[in-house]
Amino acid sequence: MASKPYRLAQGGSLIDRSRKVTFSFDGKDVSGYAGDTLASAVLASGQKLFGRSFKYHRPRGLVGLGSEEMNALIGVGQGNKHEPNLRATQIEIFEGLNAESQNRWPSLKYDIGAINSKFSRFLPGGFYYKTFMWPRSFWKHVYEPFIRKAAGLGKAPEGRDTDTYEHMHIHADLIVIGAGIAGLAAAEAAALSGAKVLLCDENPVLGGIADLTAGKIDGECVEDYAKAAATRLNAMPNVHVLSRTTVVGHFHQNYLMAFERVGDHDPAILASGAPKHRLWKIRAHHVIVATGALERPIAFANNDRPNIMLASAVRGMIGRYGVTPGNTGIVFTNNDDAYLTAFALKKAGINVRVVDSRSRSDGDLVKRAIADGIDVSLGSVISAVEGTLEVKAVKIAAYRKGQGRVITERRFECDFIAMSGGWNPALHLWCHNGGKIHFDDTLQSFRPLSHSDAITAIGAANGTMGVADTLAEAHGAGEAAAKSVLKKAKAVKATKFKIEEPIRGALESMWFAPATGLYNEGNKHFIDFQNDVTAADLELAQREGYESIEHTKRYTTFGMATDQGKTSNINGLGVLSEATGKTIPEIGTTTFRPPYTPYSFGSIAGAHTGALFLPIRQTPIFNWHKSHGATFEPVGQWRRAYTYSQVGEDKHASITREILCVRNKVGMLDASTLGKIEIKGPDAAEFLDRIYTNTFSTLKVGRCRYGLMMNELGFLTDDGVTVRLADDHFLMHTTSGGADRIAAWLEEWLQTEWTNYKVYVTPVTEQWAQFAIAGPKARDVLTKLDPDFDISNEALPHMSFKQGNIAGYPIRLYRISFSGELSYEVATPANFGQGLWNAIMEAGEEFGLTAYGTEALHVLRAEKGYIVIGDETDGTTTPIDVGMDGMVSKKKPDFIGKRSLEQSFLKGPNRKQLVGLLTEEPNDVLPDGAYAVRVLKDKPPMEMIGQVTSTYMSPTLGRSIAMALIENGRDRMGEVLSFPLEGGKVMKATITGTVFYDKEGARING
Amino acid sequence: MADLHFESALAHRIAPDTTSISIREISERGMIDLRGNTADKKFMSAAKSALGVELPKAPRTSTTFGDVQVLWLSTDQWLILTGRARVTALLGDLRKSLGTIFSLAVDVSDMRSIIRLEGDGVRETLMKGSTLDLISEDYAPGTVRRMRFAEIAALLHVVEQNMIDIYVFRSYADYAWEFLMKAARKGSEVKLFPNS
Amino acid sequence: MITVNCPVCGAEGDETDFHYGGQAHVRRPATTDAANVTDEEQRDYLFIRHNPKGLHFERWRCDRGCGKWFHAARDTVSLDFKAYYGITELPPDEIIAQAKGPWADYFKERMKAKK
Repeated sequence: MASKPYRLAQGGSLIDRSRKVTFSFDGKDVSGYAGDTLASAVLASGQKLFGRSFKYHRPRGLVGLGSEEMNALIGVGQGNKHEPNLRATQIEIFEGLNAESQNRWPSLKYDIGAINSKFSRFLPGGFYYKTFMWPRSFWKHVYEPFIRKAAGLGKAPEGRDTDTYEHMHIHADLIVIGAGIAGLAAAEAAALSGAKVLLCDENPVLGGIADLTAGKIDGECVEDYAKAAATRLNAMPNVHVLSRTTVVGHFHQNYLMAFERVGDHDPAILASGAPKHRLWKIRAHHVIVATGALERPIAFANNDRPNIMLASAVRGMIGRYGVTPGNTGIVFTNNDDAYLTAFALKKAGINVRVVDSRSRSDGDLVKRAIADGIDVSLGSVISAVEGTLEVKAVKIAAYRKGQGRVITERRFECDFIAMSGGWNPALHLWCHNGGKIHFDDTLQSFRPLSHSDAITAIGAANGTMGVADTLAEAHGAGEAAAKSVLKKAKAVKATKFKIEEPIRGALESMWFAPATGLYNEGNKHFIDFQNDVTAADLELAQREGYESIEHTKRYTTFGMATDQGKTSNINGLGVLSEATGKTIPEIGTTTFRPPYTPYSFGSIAGAHTGALFLPIRQTPIFNWHKSHGATFEPVGQWRRAYTYSQVGEDKHASITREILCVRNKVGMLDASTLGKIEIKGPDAAEFLDRIYTNTFSTLKVGRCRYGLMMNELGFLTDDGVTVRLADDHFLMHTTSGGADRIAAWLEEWLQTEWTNYKVYVTPVTEQWAQFAIAGPKARDVLTKLDPDFDISNEALPHMSFKQGNIAGYPIRLYRISFSGELSYEVATPANFGQGLWNAIMEAGEEFGLTAYGTEALHVLRAEKGYIVIGDETDGTTTPIDVGMDGMVSKKKPDFIGKRSLEQSFLKGPNRKQLVGLLTEEPNDVLPDGAYAVRVLKDKPPMEMIGQVTSTYMSPTLGRSIAMALIENGRDRMGEVLSFPLEGGKVMKATITGTVFYDKEGARING
Repeated sequence: MADLHFESALAHRIAPDTTSISIREISERGMIDLRGNTADKKFMSAAKSALGVELPKAPRTSTTFGDVQVLWLSTDQWLILTGRARVTALLGDLRKSLGTIFSLAVDVSDMRSIIRLEGDGVRETLMKGSTLDLISEDYAPGTVRRMRFAEIAALLHVVEQNMIDIYVFRSYADYAWEFLMKAARKGSEVKLFPNS
Repeated sequence: MITVNCPVCGAEGDETDFHYGGQAHVRRPATTDAANVTDEEQRDYLFIRHNPKGLHFERWRCDRGCGKWFHAARDTVSLDFKAYYGITELPPDEIIAQAKGPWADYFKERMKAKK
């Protein structure tokens, strides 16, 4: 053996032997060539061990060639750049790549968890359900930590991911998924017909497995045809090609999602500013599924040993990378296709022997193998595999279909096995959105049947395995798709190819190979490698009564690993079929769900991380707030200043200062977030009468009125002050959170119910910056700003409105109050907002003006007993509940919610009513949401009769105050209620009215 | 009025040179929201006499007359654009011309922020945050379309083949800006159907 | 993710550009006098909705387009839209003919009332 015994002297269509690449695997330097995958380079270095299995920690090697790989899951990158669970067969190596195996400790070779394997008889199918159920308290402290440590895949990255990700949208007439010869031919036919075509393939190089396919197209090998077609497509104006892009899901109306690995294979691409991954959101008029087929493993004893690979994977390793898994191999098959692997091995100078479970086959490939002098054992199976960390020898037993026991066997030394149990059409995308499938006896697998979407499956994905048939089908499908989508599709003449390909013998299903020794004694026939589910587990589930395949799946976890049962599904059904005597179609199949392969969380988040995680709305004064010590409070998507803490002040201190400043001097609040809606038209007043519970048609021009809104259920939904600007023109204020909702609500009623009303509604919330100036000195501040109109109490009394200029700024001035103080709200166009704010601040300085935030606002309004929709109401609260019966018109013929309010249960006794609460101990602040109980007991359960809706320490009153919704509250004035709290503490509070301060309301008219 | 402090939503943002297309705020534009009934001939002619140009009736279109542009927003709603300095006068003319005709015209100059995108790849940049097929013929210059953009509401106005104005509500301007900075980052360009 | 076409402005877009507004043709009882509307009628108006497998009639709004409400007939199995029509209109006759169960009863009554 040479120093690199597994890298062949020649061959390797994807590698560049002139460019050596060194990378790290499990801390060891490994070198390969540019174009290698991690799998091929590590295998070339002589290492066969790639990971430990999920449950039993069995040593595992490579099985597949691409995305179907289920064993060799690798973590790439370190720290915050770590990405776990990548398939070694898809990781393209580059200089400096840092990769590590997973699920092993302390090392791959000596894994302590492998002891699970010794106890495997205690870890049967359904063991999670059987073992860890009792005692209950053990779950948290014993079972869960054990499972987490012993089982599991890769570890999560440490720290914040600094790479970028993005989403991209694309529309096409046709998407072709898979760029094997079927996909290429279909895409070309459709593109030549004039359709806009998107072609996606998960591999770096287009062509699928053309290079592993037998036959000649016009005298050239299939691979050359694929290369030429790919080149033509890449140059077409109406074709977009995405490689390294896996279509992970197909959804309603041909909406698809595809995951592009933009920068994984080359750090230089990432460094140039490209995103690491891009998630494509695709809308196509037609979908062609050309996803090929996946080779099946065979269930034979210990078929999971390292260096037991799929036959196509071995063929690919030799052809693409010039790498052989070993020096002496056994090809184990039940079909003709795997003979191609035997030829490839022989050509590379590797010893090879074919074990074929069929008693006879008259296919061309079998004949050729025998003629070439390859040792072919027909009617034989592998009955035992020797070796744990690598294959050392096999036993080959004579076999006839259905035979359950080994009678005679011979031993052969070998160091790898290439297996093929046939091919399964890759149906996943066909099935994601409800495509129907049916069982095909020739393939011994499912294939597409029908679909309600505009979607076609072609080639191996459709169960069409021959080259000639595939090309004809693909061309027809491409052309038909273009015709169905385009008004005028160009006719494209099908190219007449001269195709030579071998005639194949029939596949013979073989779901379970008999093994040396007693049943299940040291023999594990793996079905689902990734979740460690064996044929015995499936049979056990069957015996225990799990008849439905969907139940068996969940009980054994068969097909539920990250590979979604790509290679295991049919084998599992086959085992169950033999165990039950039912046919596979009778057993049925499990549901294929997106994603086809796992894709990164980063790509799902896309650009929406950090500052873009959620849309944030800023008022025109946002930057001032930020630079003046504000902490922010989310109100919907808005960020409102909560309080402005000055140096040495905690939040409590600053809130107290802000409140007292409003009560004693004057404060200013940024109220720009309040919803503002202009409503105009001859029927505007009547319309508002229907929208609000109270009457607006009687409001005089230039005056303001507070209004309540209900929904049709009779429950409060919004409130605010509306101003009459002219006879037919109103300006409505809504809550900050309600602005968009109420504007849409008004439109809805106008468009769908009262369509005869002549009313236009235009939301103008963001046109205005709006500030509340509140406190005894409010008028003094405004006066100093030189208004060009009279703002005296007589000219501008409470609940009136004027427009003009102050400090030169055009303004609307509303004399309204949410604090109970003399108060104005001043509005100016938003881009003047900061200027006017600065001018007011400056003018207010001599009066002690301070900015106050939303917490002070809330305390001020609670001291006055003003409600907040969403605090005092919870979506089931009526105006009567909050004591606003007086605001519900008795005269108006109709308004929203009127009829519902008459329902007996909304008028009846025992409704919760809004009351004030004063705690017995003035410094006790009731927790928000605390429950009042009918009878206080030592411990729960206790009957709840209401809850606290707002609760604050009032600096104005020097004691705590609260509001609450209490059963029949208004009839209980003076009653002392108990509020049991966490930790056995109980607060007691007396029911009072809701107005705590300035009960006569004198200050507001100051 | 000269000493009034004017501050647009993106005044504090400076376009960096890290983007592959040019991105800047247009703050000098005034806007009027107009609502009225296209079936009302009096309304249509009153609007035309004030604006100098017919209100566009065809969905998603716009018209221009001198320094006045009218963008279609809905079957009964338009956004009228003109220079900020002219907007008060134009609104006055419009209201006078409309008189008692059932309609609503409001100055909304400060309600939206306008971000102008210019250069090769503007359409693809926007398609990172929009489900619309902006590279299709449906989006010829002059096209106006309201849309969902990066999780917020936006109005798109295709000015030229490679020049697009995005209108977002003022409070979202910072968010939209951040998104565009990321989407247009050099090195992340996507060219759809690259040979077309 | 289904696509929706607005019959008012012709905009086509993903369903996220539109707002689903619940069942169509729910009639609000005249509430001029509460006594005119029984509790049962009010209950039906507020809460009772059809839940058919197959053809259904819905309200939608062109939320990110012209802002207008419209009606749609949609198949709840295939999710396909069968027809769009105005917010104050009844479905096209050929669609009404396909209505089943409570919807068929409803349209029969409406058509009778129309005559």
